Amino acid sequence: MSERPRRGLRPAFRGWRSRRPFWGGLLLALGGVEVLLTMRASLKVVLHVGMQGVAGYLLPGLMVVLGLLVLFNPAQRLFYSITGVLVSLGTWMTSNLGGFLLGLLCGVVGSCLAFGWLPDQEPRRRLRRRAAKAVAP
Amino acid sequence: MAPHSDVSSSTEPTPENPESGSTTSADPQRRGRVRLRRAAVMAVPATLATVALAVLTAEGALGVQFAISGMPFTVTATELNGTGFEQFGGLDNMAPGSPNAGDTGGQVLVVTSAIKNATLTKLCQSVDLGGTNLLITAGGGKEKVQATDLTTDSTELSGDAAFDDIEIGNDASTLTRAGVKGPIGVFSQQARTVRIANLRQTNYATTAGVFTLPGLKLRFSSSGC
Repeated sequence: MSERPRRGLRPAFRGWRSRRPFWGGLLLALGGVEVLLTMRASLKVVLHVGMQGVAGYLLPGLMVVLGLLVLFNPAQRLFYSITGVLVSLGTWMTSNLGGFLLGLLCGVVGSCLAFGWLPDQEPRRRLRRRAAKAVAP
Repeated sequence: MAPHSDVSSSTEPTPENPESGSTTSADPQRRGRVRLRRAAVMAVPATLATVALAVLTAEGALGVQFAISGMPFTVTATELNGTGFEQFGGLDNMAPGSPNAGDTGGQVLVVTSAIKNATLTKLCQSVDLGGTNLLITAGGGKEKVQATDLTTDSTELSGDAAFDDIEIGNDASTLTRAGVKGPIGVFSQQARTVRIANLRQTNYATTAGVFTLPGLKLRFSSSGC
């Protein structure tokens, strides 16, 4: 990052975003946060329910961690996204039907986006045309 | 973990994907993006698995766990039959400086009820999501809802209750029926079986337990249970 000239925060963020499955990782992490927000049961009660009670916190916590890992270590995105989708599905059983379905859907969609992401693609046709127009005149 | 992630985010070309990154600074138009066909490889089985989970739950083959606290949550059932019932009081501490503390000194009296195994008929749970309610109904058909380790904190259970073998006035630390032990020196009661008709609990405190929900229906509604 440091060797490139500073062009302001927005283009820098755009560049950073273009090198990782940004929306995939973000959705997966946000899904985990949503599930955690619906949990909030006191630890004493959770421990009484037993192993499944602990898993109720473990799985959404893992979703957050995996989402952040997709963002900050995109090279390993295949492993993170496959684990992420399995963990997201697991929250259906352990954590309030996957945060009342919302967090589960966020996690699954985010994992799929991260899985389907590829670096260094040809720009979309629409963008290419715009770039050509910018160069032509 | 942090230094490692810094390294991989700034120097993109890694052994796993050597094709990446090297041209991004030279040609800013080339950027990573989602290939739909590739995403579908995961999206299709994931969707199937989601549907399978919902179907298995609706058939009562799969138990799901609820652990809810701090939001308005209502459970109603026309009938609850349970074995292993305990109830005891306790003091719960609020977060320091909580605006709800008032003159209570930051402590609230909570009643913990625990039922080891419960069978519920026509269960209806509603969660207030701010403006709209998520309504979960189950157990309306022939198969009933089963709940294990049903634990609620600080609620008023209303309904017509009947107990078998009730022991009132035990010390909370000697309870045996549902496997929960309360603090020592606290009043408690326990019973071998419990039967509550027209059960209704509305609570902002904790509800936890593992449910099997045959005939599960999830929907949004403007009114709760």
